[in-house]
Amino acid sequence: MGGQSLKNILRLTVKELRAIRGDRVMIALMIYVFTIATWLVAGAADTDIKNLSVAVVDEDRSQLSDRLAGAIRAPLFTPPERLTAAEAEAAQNAGRQVLVVSIPPGFERSLRRGDPATLLILIDATAVAQAGNGASFLRQLLLDEIQGYLAPGAPAAALVAVEVRNRFNENLTGSWFTAVMQLMNSVTILTLILSGSSMIREREHGTIEHVLVMPVRPHEIVFSKVLATGAVILVASVLSLAFVIEGAMGVPIEGSLALYAGGAALYVVAVASLGLMLASFTQNMGQFGLLVLPVIIVMFMLSGGITPLESMPGWLQVVMRLVSPSPHFVAFAQSVLYRGAGLSLVVWEMAAMAAMSVVALAIVLARFRKVLAG
Amino acid sequence: MESAAEIAGISHRYGTVTALEAVSLTIPAGRMAGLIGPDGVGKSTLLALVAGVRRLQGGGLTVLGHDMTRRAERQAVAPRVAYMPQGLGRNLYPTLTVRENLEFFGRLFGQKAPERAQRIEMLLRATGLDPFPDRPAGKLSGGMKQKLSLCSALIHDPDLLILDEPTTGVDPLSRRQFWELIAAIRTHLPGMSVLVATAYMEEADRFDWLAAMDGGRVIATGSPAELRARTGAATLEAAFIRLLPGGADAAPVALPPRGHAPDATPAIEARHLTKRFGDFTAVDDVSFTIPEGEIFGFLGSNGCGKSTTMKMLTGLQDATEGETRLFGERLGAADMQSRMRIGYMSQGFSLYGELTVRQNLMLHAQLYALPAARRAPRVAEVMAEFDLAEVAHQKPESLPLGIRQRLQLAVATIHEPRILILDEPTSGVDPLARDDFWRKLIVLSRERGVTIFITTHFMNEAERCDRISLMHAGRVLEMGTPAEIVSRRGAATLEEAFIACLEEQTGSAGGETAAMVPPDPAPPAGRMRQALTRAGAYSWRETLELVRDPIRLFFALAAPVILLLTMGFGISFDVNRLSFAVNDQDRSAESRTLVDEFGSIRQFDRRADFASRADLDARMTRGAVTVALEIPDGFGRDLRRGSVPEVSLWIDGAMPFRAETARGYATGVLQTFAARIAREEGRGAATPVTVETRFLYNQAFLSANAMVPSIIMLILMLVPAIMAAVSVVREKESGTIANFRSTPVGRAEFLVGKQLPYAVIAWGSFWVLFLLARLLFEVPFSGDLGALAAISAVYVVATTGFGQFISSFTATQVTAVFATAIITIIPTINFSGLIVPVSSLAPAARTLGRAFPGAWYQPVSVGSFVKGFGWAELWPAGLMMLGFCAAYLLLSVLALRKQEA
Repeated sequence: MGGQSLKNILRLTVKELRAIRGDRVMIALMIYVFTIATWLVAGAADTDIKNLSVAVVDEDRSQLSDRLAGAIRAPLFTPPERLTAAEAEAAQNAGRQVLVVSIPPGFERSLRRGDPATLLILIDATAVAQAGNGASFLRQLLLDEIQGYLAPGAPAAALVAVEVRNRFNENLTGSWFTAVMQLMNSVTILTLILSGSSMIREREHGTIEHVLVMPVRPHEIVFSKVLATGAVILVASVLSLAFVIEGAMGVPIEGSLALYAGGAALYVVAVASLGLMLASFTQNMGQFGLLVLPVIIVMFMLSGGITPLESMPGWLQVVMRLVSPSPHFVAFAQSVLYRGAGLSLVVWEMAAMAAMSVVALAIVLARFRKVLAG
Repeated sequence: MESAAEIAGISHRYGTVTALEAVSLTIPAGRMAGLIGPDGVGKSTLLALVAGVRRLQGGGLTVLGHDMTRRAERQAVAPRVAYMPQGLGRNLYPTLTVRENLEFFGRLFGQKAPERAQRIEMLLRATGLDPFPDRPAGKLSGGMKQKLSLCSALIHDPDLLILDEPTTGVDPLSRRQFWELIAAIRTHLPGMSVLVATAYMEEADRFDWLAAMDGGRVIATGSPAELRARTGAATLEAAFIRLLPGGADAAPVALPPRGHAPDATPAIEARHLTKRFGDFTAVDDVSFTIPEGEIFGFLGSNGCGKSTTMKMLTGLQDATEGETRLFGERLGAADMQSRMRIGYMSQGFSLYGELTVRQNLMLHAQLYALPAARRAPRVAEVMAEFDLAEVAHQKPESLPLGIRQRLQLAVATIHEPRILILDEPTSGVDPLARDDFWRKLIVLSRERGVTIFITTHFMNEAERCDRISLMHAGRVLEMGTPAEIVSRRGAATLEEAFIACLEEQTGSAGGETAAMVPPDPAPPAGRMRQALTRAGAYSWRETLELVRDPIRLFFALAAPVILLLTMGFGISFDVNRLSFAVNDQDRSAESRTLVDEFGSIRQFDRRADFASRADLDARMTRGAVTVALEIPDGFGRDLRRGSVPEVSLWIDGAMPFRAETARGYATGVLQTFAARIAREEGRGAATPVTVETRFLYNQAFLSANAMVPSIIMLILMLVPAIMAAVSVVREKESGTIANFRSTPVGRAEFLVGKQLPYAVIAWGSFWVLFLLARLLFEVPFSGDLGALAAISAVYVVATTGFGQFISSFTATQVTAVFATAIITIIPTINFSGLIVPVSSLAPAARTLGRAFPGAWYQPVSVGSFVKGFGWAELWPAGLMMLGFCAAYLLLSVLALRKQEA
């Protein structure tokens, strides 16, 4: 019977693949998500400092103040607008300027005399993702500029030299990271919808009943759905990684693509199982849509991919690691793709994803007949 | 006599499929007129056109003297027509009670409360529904649903009553009661014209006038007697078959007698089968024994337990009590062997629409484990047997129902089962195809000895069975050969025998209908007032439905809270507790001071020291260390000597934002350290310039203070939009949209009425989110709460309006949910100031963001919380959002069709 069972799973998987091929809207959505959306979001919405709006309130009107204003340049900052103190306050209030540099009267004169002088940076602290790092860049930039103006050619008078090296992503470009995270987001959304809807569609059309009258066991049906959905999404995501992210966007992939594919396979299986489990709690596609949407948002937002997991409260980290495969996959993907980690370093994350699939599938199978009766 | 409807050359197409082909017909007024023919011949399309719920594609149509091609005339005639669409209670709201359903329809026709109460009382009494005014419509039996549908159609005294297959799926007794009720109503309202579509010829025999339809054309008109006389047939069914092309020489179906083998083990044996769902008993102690080769008919109304019994026979469901034996062996739920003996055809088409005919057959041959060599020949065999060879490479969806049913039968017999279990295999199939189907069944039974267990609604099919049983409310009432049952009950026909049987069971003898005395119509209210009543009807009903739907209610109330909690805690740009490791090779006082300096700020969380680069590599690769500091040997000495020592700092760059921030902190610590050494040693201070940074609005630079108000923007965009999107599309899917199309309610009234409850709930969510932000996330609030609350109300009206706009052109709930989500999520997360300030966006992105209300609300929300905004700063955004509200309503009205295509 074992051989027959395996054969049934394969045949049903082929049937599922044909069903996916027949669903043109879903295929169009998949192509869109894995190419254009990955490209768009990675390019547009990262937390890199870019074009940050800056205004200068120059009450000194000296050569130095001119030079300082001139030093604030693209790509980090927009060319600064010169405003009066009152205008600057209004602009910052209305959210038109994130940073305002205020140069007090007599600033250059004081410095030339060797008197202490203070330069003020006003930060709209509601732009939390950019204002902090933006202000520290601006501060460094202004200090260097003043140094260069007052004592040209003099060596930096630091007491300690620091050699800073960014491991794994030397220039700290954000699109690397957002591209891979966007890919994970796409995988999550599509896998949940695809696996859940394949179950609900069969129930709505009555085909699942039909199959169950045959000598086919529930686990064969469930496995075939996980396999078919998983295979399609996995292939699409690896292609997207190789051709869109590495090829078109030029993000270098450091680790082993084979290991990544292995972990991604586990993740896809875990998410597909989760999708089937959610589907088993709903009656129709409408309800499934309402249920799956918050799940998608929470899985994505709290995966550690948008903001680091360690910034979350401890209890939330524990909860997310227990119920969602996404934090495990993010940790796995970072290790493999950026840090070039080997199997031994990521084996626990992989084990966690596998365990989640097992639990979700056990719930689906336990509910299978009950769901049919309802 | 004048006509109720004048149809002149109407054609109608759905894509490439022709539903009606140049139909011209005059439907007499004040009579009971019927359209007869099987499913899919265009009856429903014609009725929908007459009712004005479908848009005319061509031809002329006059209903009650009004030209239906003009909008104004359609509006004028709408209050005089009542339309009951196809499907059992499809225009009813299942979670509303009987009385609430009728209340709703009364309000749609602008009736005032006292008039409504009077009419509802009268209708409930007339239909015998008065004992159950508080039962939800979804819990009524099929017959009662039909009566309730009828009540809702009669609430406004229509001059033309249009009924589309009102009795399909209803038991014979309820069917007879329904027609008696219609007859009684007609005696009280003699001027009313009734137009009915039906597939039951026995019923049509009692109508005054008939139009027989086939393939989108009218093939004959006249009274039933005329049609019978014209074809020389004894029954209307036979007459209809002869009217069909090729039907004149169709032979009647003959059932040869069965050879008896009394000693053989029975093929199916049900012993005291009982199935309970909670406290509801679906099947109550059912037993029967079916010998091999018999055709056993299983009759009963929808929901009487037939399908559940069949599921227990196939092993799809376990019995609560009792057992099933197939050929003497007990059937268990996981019994694979016995499944090889059963072929099953479920109610409705249940094969894979995405596979071709041949692929469907092949898949089943494989799953039934036919040997590989046998598969292709067997598939060819059944394709020949069931005449499917011509359509082998087509997908079933494109085939006519009759052929699809043959395919289902072919699939069910592919493994040559000894038992066939068929659940309503012929419903909706035309009489010729039905006869054809029966001939195949008879061959299987008589020539191959296959046992057939079949359910049907058609009495002439029941008469062809060897034995039949009648089920009602979970129990078997009668069993035997058709002739036995008729003589036992002393009835003339099988139908009458069943009715007698059901009457005995339910104890009602049809019941005389109470008088239908409609109250004098009250003077109509003003136009404005009527419009308000109708919009109010939708608000009231939507609220009731929402309150009774746990999944949607959960989504509406809990989803905003869950999202705020998870995202509020989860999306944080506070970089804290960075894991930090040191390799201090120097171990001098200076190096220890530097290490302590790092440990003193909360941003760094010191972990175990690392001993070597290899150790660091491993830990960083694992992600266990984010920032690492290496102090070389001789650091303290160099520092004291005044030569510049070099320390190394490694930062994990896999997350750029975190790395950038970590680097900022680390260089800050090093600068503080340098300043301290300089001070202590009294060495030359560097430049006297200080750059002071001041964080406005959010002095502590806490992520939550800015993110939580922005997340409120995101949640109040997403959740209300999706709720509103689902609300309209649900009606399209469930069929209740027909009420919008067939009653005088206007598009704007419909939309505004449905939107109101969602806007109110969303505004409630705003207050919950506001309180969570203040109390749980401790975000300070410095603005004008009144202004924020008012603008938030406008904002949720705009976001619900957006959802309605999406739903006015989408067809299914899934599309509506995902379209709304995909369209809103990208601009609100990326281009509305949630993460990147709008002022830093590229012009295209900024414009895209501002095309949605979220980008306008984000500064309002953040400004009110932390910047102390009041009306003076907020009014332009408020005005803009009012503009969005108006624009979305206008777009929805334009996109929503009062008539179906």
